[in-house]
Amino acid sequence: MGRDDGAGRQVTVGAADDSATPILHIDMDAFFASVELLERPDLRGKPVIIGHRDGRSVVTSATYEARKFGVGAAMPVSKALRLCPHAIVVPPNYAAYSHFSREVMRIFSEITPLVEQLSIDEAFLDVSGARRLLGSPATIARLVRERVVTETGLTCSVGVAASKFVAKMASTRSKPDGMLVVPKEQTLAFLHPLPIRTLWGVGPATEESLRRLGLATIGDIAEVPIGALRSAVGVAGAEKLSQLARGHDPRPVETSRVEKSVGHEVTFHADITDIEQLRVELLRLSDKVAVRLRERGWVTRTVGLKLRWSDFTTLSRSHTLPEPTSVGRRLHEEAVALLDALRPLRPVRLIGIRAEQLASSGDGALLWDPDEDWREAENSVDAVRKRFGTSALAPASLLGGPRGSAGGTRTQPFSED
Amino acid sequence: MRFSVNRDVFSEAVSFAVKLLPQRTTLPILSGVLIESTPAGLTLSSFDYEVSAQTTIAADISEEGSILVSGRLLADIASRLPNAPVEFSTDDNRISVTCGSAHFTLLSMPVEEYPTIPQVSGEQGLVPAEEFATAIAQVAVAASRDDVTPVITGVQLEVTGTKISLVATDRYRVAVREIEWDGGADAPSLTALVPARTLQEVGKTFGHSGTITVSFTSKDDREIIAFSADDKTVTSLLIKGSFPPVRRLFPEQVDNYAVINTGELIESVRRVSLVLEREAALRFSFSIDGLTMEAIGSEHAQASESIDALLTGEDIVLSLKPSFLIDGLNAVRSEFVRFSFTKSENTNKPGPMLITSQSSKDQPGADSFKYLLQPNLLLR
Repeated sequence: MGRDDGAGRQVTVGAADDSATPILHIDMDAFFASVELLERPDLRGKPVIIGHRDGRSVVTSATYEARKFGVGAAMPVSKALRLCPHAIVVPPNYAAYSHFSREVMRIFSEITPLVEQLSIDEAFLDVSGARRLLGSPATIARLVRERVVTETGLTCSVGVAASKFVAKMASTRSKPDGMLVVPKEQTLAFLHPLPIRTLWGVGPATEESLRRLGLATIGDIAEVPIGALRSAVGVAGAEKLSQLARGHDPRPVETSRVEKSVGHEVTFHADITDIEQLRVELLRLSDKVAVRLRERGWVTRTVGLKLRWSDFTTLSRSHTLPEPTSVGRRLHEEAVALLDALRPLRPVRLIGIRAEQLASSGDGALLWDPDEDWREAENSVDAVRKRFGTSALAPASLLGGPRGSAGGTRTQPFSED
Repeated sequence: MRFSVNRDVFSEAVSFAVKLLPQRTTLPILSGVLIESTPAGLTLSSFDYEVSAQTTIAADISEEGSILVSGRLLADIASRLPNAPVEFSTDDNRISVTCGSAHFTLLSMPVEEYPTIPQVSGEQGLVPAEEFATAIAQVAVAASRDDVTPVITGVQLEVTGTKISLVATDRYRVAVREIEWDGGADAPSLTALVPARTLQEVGKTFGHSGTITVSFTSKDDREIIAFSADDKTVTSLLIKGSFPPVRRLFPEQVDNYAVINTGELIESVRRVSLVLEREAALRFSFSIDGLTMEAIGSEHAQASESIDALLTGEDIVLSLKPSFLIDGLNAVRSEFVRFSFTKSENTNKPGPMLITSQSSKDQPGADSFKYLLQPNLLLR
C-alpha cells in the first residue's frame, strides 16, 4: 500500500485510445483493511488500521478514511493513533489475506495466462492475446474490476498502458476503485508533470540526489543531460531513469518470477539485548527460510543477517558457504556466527535472516555432506508438518515459553532489485 | 658487485625465479628477485613468505655482492636480450646491465629488508620426476579453487614405506595417484598438504629433471616442504588443517562397470554438451547396446549421441556434470576407461562413480590413478 490517500485521483471515464496499451497493472485497494471489512461490515466508512495496538507494531494496512489523516503503511501504530485517535485497530489475519489473494489471482489467470504476480495484492497482466476473446484492454480492465468485486466483494484499481511501469503508475493515480488508461501517444504527457518520487524504483535516497540537481518532475529527468544524472545516481541508474522518463520500459510481463533470495525477519515488542534470546529467534527464522528453500527445491550459498538497533541503524552481514545448503541447522550456525561477530550488541529492534545465491538443489551433488544427518532429519520434519500441520513439530528451544516476536514475522520474497 | 653470465642460462634462471611470484603483492619488496654473486656462482631467489624459488647458476664473478630488482621487469628484459654475454655491475643502488649494444639502468630495492629464504633440512626422499609431474597433473585438477575452504585447495601428499600418494578433492570428486618413494631405510610416514597451484608449478618445472628431492621441515610452528633438482629449489608453506578422510569413499570392489574408448567418449561429451547451460549435467544411459548421452538444454536446443560401451552388470542411468567428467577422462591417460558404478544405501543420493584406466577393452590399466565422481540426482 502506498502513502496516497486518493487525493489527486485520476480516472478514465469515457472512451480512451487503448489500441496500443496491452499491459494492465491491477492493485487491490487497501487490501488487508478491505478484507477485514468483509467480515466486519459495521466498520465500513470508518478509519480502520490493521496492526496491533500493543507494543511497537506497525501499520500493515489502513482504510482510505484513515489515510486521509496521514496514516501510512509501515508507520508505528502509536504514531498512527496520534494522527487519527478515533481509528479502530484490527489485528491482522494473514490466513484470510492469502485466501483472498489466491481468489483474485485465480480471476486474473482466467483472463490471461500472462500474469506476473508482484506481491500478495498486485499483478501485471499482458492482455495482447485476449483481445479477440474478451475485447480491448480497457474493456478487459472493466471486466476484471467487475469480476473481482462480484466474486470477492473487494475493489481494485487498474492501470492500462503500453508498458509495465506506466501501467503501475496509472493504477496508483486511479486509486481507490478506479481505472486509468494512458494511451500510448499520451505516455509522456502523463509522465512528465508527475513528481519524481512517483516513478517506480525511485526511493527517498535517489529522490534526494535528484532534488539536489534541482529536478522535481519526471519531465525534468527527461530533459537533463545524462551526464548530470550519472554523477547523481551512477551510470546504471542514470541509464534506467533516463529511459523510464522517456517512457521506455522494455520489460515483458514475466509469468514465473525468479526469486533471488529468501528471507524472514521479525520486529520485537521490546528491544532485546540477550544474545541467547536472539539465537533462539534466529533458529525460528532459519527454520522458516530452510522450509521455504526446500519447498521450492532450492539451495543457498550465502547466508545474510540483518540487524536493526533500537536507534534504527540497520546492519547487514553475509557469509558465503563452502557448499550450498537448504539445512536450517546450517543456516542457523552461520547466522549465529555472524551475530557473534557483531558483539558487543546494542539493543536489537529487528533481526532477520536471508538466503542468497540460490540454485536448484539438483545441481552439483557432493561426495560427502557434513549436514547429511540434519538434512534427513529436516526432511522428515517437513513430511510430518505436511501431514499434521506446521506446529506439529519444532526444535525444542522453540517450544513453549513467551514468544519474542511481535506483529508476526514478515515474510519477504525479495525481488531482483 | 660485478659479474658476467651466459644470456640463455640467465634468462632461464630469471624466468624460474619469478614464476611463483604473486601477481599482486602488498609489499613491493616481495615482487623483487634477489641476485647474489658468491664464489659458488650466481644465486637468484624470490620469496613471498609462502612460496620461495631459488636457483644457482654458473657465472663469471669479478666482485661479490647482492641486488634486489623487480622480478617482472627483469624477466621481460632477460627474455629479450640479444645473444651475447650479459654484464652486471653496480654503483651504489644503481644497477647497470649491458648485453651486446643494449644497455639498461635499474634501481636496486633495499636488500637488507628482504626476508631470509627458508632452508629446508628435515626428512627427505626421492621421487622420479616424470612420474611425479604426471601424478600432479592427474590429481591437482580435482583440488578446490574456492578459498572458502582452504584445506581442500591443496594436494595431500602421503608417504608410507616406499610409496607416496597424492590426493585432492573439491567435494564433488576425489583424485588419487600413488608413485614410488625412496626415503631410504626405515623411512617414516609423513603427510603434507601443499597448495595445488604451487604443486602444479613444481610439476611443470621439474618434469624433466630425472629425480626430485622432497624435504619436510617444521620450524617455529611453520611447516615447509621443499622440492629440489638441477640446482633449483621450490619451497612452500603447508596448508594447516586436516584433510578430509576421503579414502573411505572409494569402494572395495564393484561388479557393475562399463569400459569405453576414452578419446571417443571425450569427443562425444564435448559435442553433446554444447547445448547445455552452464553447470547443467548430461544424462548417461548404459545398457547392453552401449552408452547414450543426452543433453536437455534450454527450450531451444537438445542433443544426444550413442557410442560403444562394454557393460558388465545391470543397466544404469546417471547424471554427470561434463566438466568434472572431462577432467577425469583427461587425467586417466589410457586408450580405454572404466566406469565403476557403486551402490548407495541412500535412495536420495546415487552412489559415486569410479573412473580408472584400462589399457585395452578387457585389461585394467597398471597405474594406480583413481578418480571418484559424485553423480547428480536424476531429476526425472
